[in-house]
Amino acid sequence: MKHHDWLGLKVELPRKRQLQLTILSFLAPMAVWCAISYVPWLWHPLYRVTDPGSVDYFIEDMDVKRADFEHELAKARAAGTALPQGYLTNPIYLPAPHKVLRAFYYAFKTPPRLPNEPWLHQSLGHSIRTIFLGFVVSSVFGLPLGILCGTYRFFAKLQEPFIEFFRYLPAPAFGALCVAVLGIDDPPKIAIIFIGTFFQQVLVIANTVRKVDPGLLEAAQTLGASGWKLVRRVIIPASITDVYTDMRILLGWAWTYLIVAEVVGTMSGITYFINQQARYRNFDNVYAAIAMIGIIGFSTDLFLAWLGTVLFPWKRKSRSAQNKRAWFAWLRPKMAEPIVQTIEPVEDKPEIKLHVTQ
Amino acid sequence: MSLSELKLPDYREQSPDVSARFERIRKRPIILKVRELKKSFGSNGNTHIVFDHVSLDVHRREFICVVGPSGCGKSTFIRIVAGLDEATSGEILLDGRAVAGPGSDRGMVFQGYTLFPWLTVKRNVMFGLQMHGKALDTAEAEARQWLDMVGLAKFENLYPHELSGGMKQRVAIARALANGPRILIMDEPFAALDAQTRCQMQAYLMQIWKKVDVTILFITHDLDEAAYLADRILVMSCNPGRVAEFIENPVPRPRSAEQFISPEFLALKKRLEEHIHPPVEVPEKLPMIKLTEAGDEVE
Ligand SMILES: Nc1ncnc2c1ncn2[C@@H]1O[C@H](COP(=O)(O)OP(=O)(O)O)[C@@H](O)[C@H]1O
Ligand SMILES: [Mg+2]
Repeated sequence: MKHHDWLGLKVELPRKRQLQLTILSFLAPMAVWCAISYVPWLWHPLYRVTDPGSVDYFIEDMDVKRADFEHELAKARAAGTALPQGYLTNPIYLPAPHKVLRAFYYAFKTPPRLPNEPWLHQSLGHSIRTIFLGFVVSSVFGLPLGILCGTYRFFAKLQEPFIEFFRYLPAPAFGALCVAVLGIDDPPKIAIIFIGTFFQQVLVIANTVRKVDPGLLEAAQTLGASGWKLVRRVIIPASITDVYTDMRILLGWAWTYLIVAEVVGTMSGITYFINQQARYRNFDNVYAAIAMIGIIGFSTDLFLAWLGTVLFPWKRKSRSAQNKRAWFAWLRPKMAEPIVQTIEPVEDKPEIKLHVTQ
Repeated sequence: MSLSELKLPDYREQSPDVSARFERIRKRPIILKVRELKKSFGSNGNTHIVFDHVSLDVHRREFICVVGPSGCGKSTFIRIVAGLDEATSGEILLDGRAVAGPGSDRGMVFQGYTLFPWLTVKRNVMFGLQMHGKALDTAEAEARQWLDMVGLAKFENLYPHELSGGMKQRVAIARALANGPRILIMDEPFAALDAQTRCQMQAYLMQIWKKVDVTILFITHDLDEAAYLADRILVMSCNPGRVAEFIENPVPRPRSAEQFISPEFLALKKRLEEHIHPPVEVPEKLPMIKLTEAGDEVE
């Protein structure tokens, strides 16, 4: 295989290779993890004691440092007393892959230890609800404001300097304030996600909307569009695909604010679950829960990417685009049924008078 | 033999047919009247005059080409006519009314295709009609008619990115004409196309113009294109931009590719060349610098 086939500068790789690399990007870290977990002479700094033997401070299932264990083993051997038994292991905070995999199943099956604690699926549901509400509330205000700022210099100059300032204030800093104002339950958490998302959202979307090709606006103007029609029929549809991509990225950012938001007030959601499991030293459950966040975020994004190709058929490369109707029907007026037509040669057309002759 | 030695008729000589045609054109009403138009950029002290003293009259259904060196303000001029820019002084009357801002009485076709990528071909053509509140089925029927005229009826449901450059520009023409403009303004519309497609597009444009009651203001830097298409050619000079000459094209209609070597065509082309590419003094002996040790001497 030729070298430049894989490492061409700015050359699009064939689909098959893209897929191979995607799989590899997940497999490579997994392979490292497996190697550390299953190859005994890689790392494994501890001994798990299975039989304390004659060592008085060893107890069963205790983890001791490799050097200490070997020292005690040598001492027992020299003294001729019962030998301690054990096997090499990694620290408890690095469980083996199969344990985490098993935890994916058992974490959902394990009933909570305390009567009023939520199950894992309830914790996840709570987190998703918090994210969703925070993001929706942010978008309800941020999307129109961003489009307004991107369209009219007036609003840009009126809003953006303050927003620019505000976005440097870290959202977690408002935690105590939010609790004081909104109580200890969900509202302050939603507020934190709102604060973390909203200001970025306005600026990012305004910037995207500003990038609309001015040629399209001029073309629309020469066709008789003006004012609000220009916004609705040109600026919004021209920027909608890029705004949609922005929203996907912003949703990813909202997830990073989730953990902060959930420790505000009473700890809740997936953060609470992770915290409790870490306290019980169920680290396999901790990993499973963290991975769950990744899986939910990643699959949401994949879904939204696919949804994008359905919503915006003109962004599709294939010819099949013509058959699929965009879902954003409000951008286009309702269609009448196509009229059956005959195609005449150009020459046979009568002269077309555009105007009544004076 | 160089072009200057070639025995050519005067570019102002017109055959009886041609002069009769110009006689008829002059009798038509004036549709576009430009008076002492001036455009400058920058504020006092540091102004750059793009053009001034531009005056011209265009008669109804005339085909006007505008040529001139790059940067002499052709685009600026027609953007002002289209209402996309404002003149510094002077006036433009369209059908006797002063133009202010863009309007659908002036259709525009840009060099960049500027089709709306989110609309299908048919929807693009319907855009202007809908802006004027036409009912959907009427707008659709009219759009079909225009697409038919530019030979794209079969492609009405494709999106612009699925079309070739020439097809896109035909859609742009259909879109502009669907609005029923008094004049169609085109800024180097075929400059980005390959030579073969450009010829095809010129033929298309001629056909369309023959059938449709529209006046065309067409910018180009291609002198052949201007000579092939125009009734009259507005030649602009540079720094500041002025009307150098408004030439009546002596090439008889209907035009065809054979005329590219007719005496009238060559005479006109020679005249245009003199305007656009004034003779450049090249010193007889240029100092030779040898960059390589190659053995074969170049003559
Ligand atoms: N917005 C502007 N500000 C300053 N100068 C401009 C602006 N637009 C155009 N010009 C100047 O006007 C001149 C004419 O430009 P243009 O009309 O594009 O020429 P052409 O189309 O004939 O090549 C150029 O020299 C350009 O520098
Ligand atoms: Mg130009």
